[in-house]
Amino acid sequence: MRLSLAAAISHGRVYRRFGLSPRSRLDLLRNLVTALVRHERIETPWARADEMRGYAERLIDYAKRGDTDERAMRMADFWLTEKDLIHKLFKVLAPRFQPHPGSYTRLLQIPNRDGLDRAKMAVIELKGNPLPPLVRPRRDSDKTLLNQLLKGYRQDAQRAAAH
Amino acid sequence: VLVLVRSPLPRLRALLQRHCGRLERGLWPGVLGGQSPPWGPALAVQGPALLPQWINDAGESSAKAPSLLESILWMAAPKKRRTIEVNRCRRRNPDKLIEIKRNIDVCPECGNLKQKHVLCGYCYAKVKAETRLIRMEIRKKEGGPFNAPTVETVVLYEGEKPTEKDEGKRIIERARKRPSWFVQN
Repeated sequence: MRLSLAAAISHGRVYRRFGLSPRSRLDLLRNLVTALVRHERIETPWARADEMRGYAERLIDYAKRGDTDERAMRMADFWLTEKDLIHKLFKVLAPRFQPHPGSYTRLLQIPNRDGLDRAKMAVIELKGNPLPPLVRPRRDSDKTLLNQLLKGYRQDAQRAAAH
Repeated sequence: VLVLVRSPLPRLRALLQRHCGRLERGLWPGVLGGQSPPWGPALAVQGPALLPQWINDAGESSAKAPSLLESILWMAAPKKRRTIEVNRCRRRNPDKLIEIKRNIDVCPECGNLKQKHVLCGYCYAKVKAETRLIRMEIRKKEGGPFNAPTVETVVLYEGEKPTEKDEGKRIIERARKRPSWFVQN
């Protein structure tokens, strides 16, 4: 009869394990957040990007409070290792995202890495960045059957309204 | 009122340890075949399934030494050769085959193949190359490390003038025609 719980069960755990220790995991994510704020678009393994996304968005929420807020400044000081980015965060990113209520980042999967590990990679970017767009919004073609039928219906309705 | 709750596990463990000990020492009544406990009744013998071994041993123990076949450890081995038909059934079973991917599509921009939930490799490589050149221009403009600007950035190609939306922004010039997939907004 088993008298101890198996150590391999991790039901309900939300945080992934990275690096050598919990502190190392935070350092890793902190480097990624700094890189994202500096370059506005980075390419990393999908798991790290996914984990980092939450931290980055919460940092921007803190930045939206304004740089006079003590808590926000302490958070920015911890999370951004390069201190010139604190100015960029409060003066560029906070005004840019002021109208948006949430979801300031975009996470997209890219083909697996070319090296031996074939890791699942993702590109994470801040919305509204000046770089070329990754995905072009596709407008529906006018030549599909459904669109032609709708066009015909619209024309019939206009003709009926005209008479 | 303080309520002390002890977990039931140590008590259970102690109970099992005591009974394991008793089992090992052969004092648990009637479990291990044939041996009656030392204090059992002399006349009324507990009925074991086999007769106690010492009755027969007296005759045979002198004749037979413990044979080699009983003392070595037997291990599992296949009895018969697995036929090719049986082997084929096992090897070609659906869950051993590689799954075919049904999520491959054609990229509408360039016509290369891509997975539905993944960005097109060719288009992404194009965007990555252009981003790299833009970042080289940014590096030249900034001059050194840790010079991130405190204003927005806008990228302008050959022959383009900043509009009224690009008022207070830092301008990055790229010496080429604007690519068709980079729409100016």
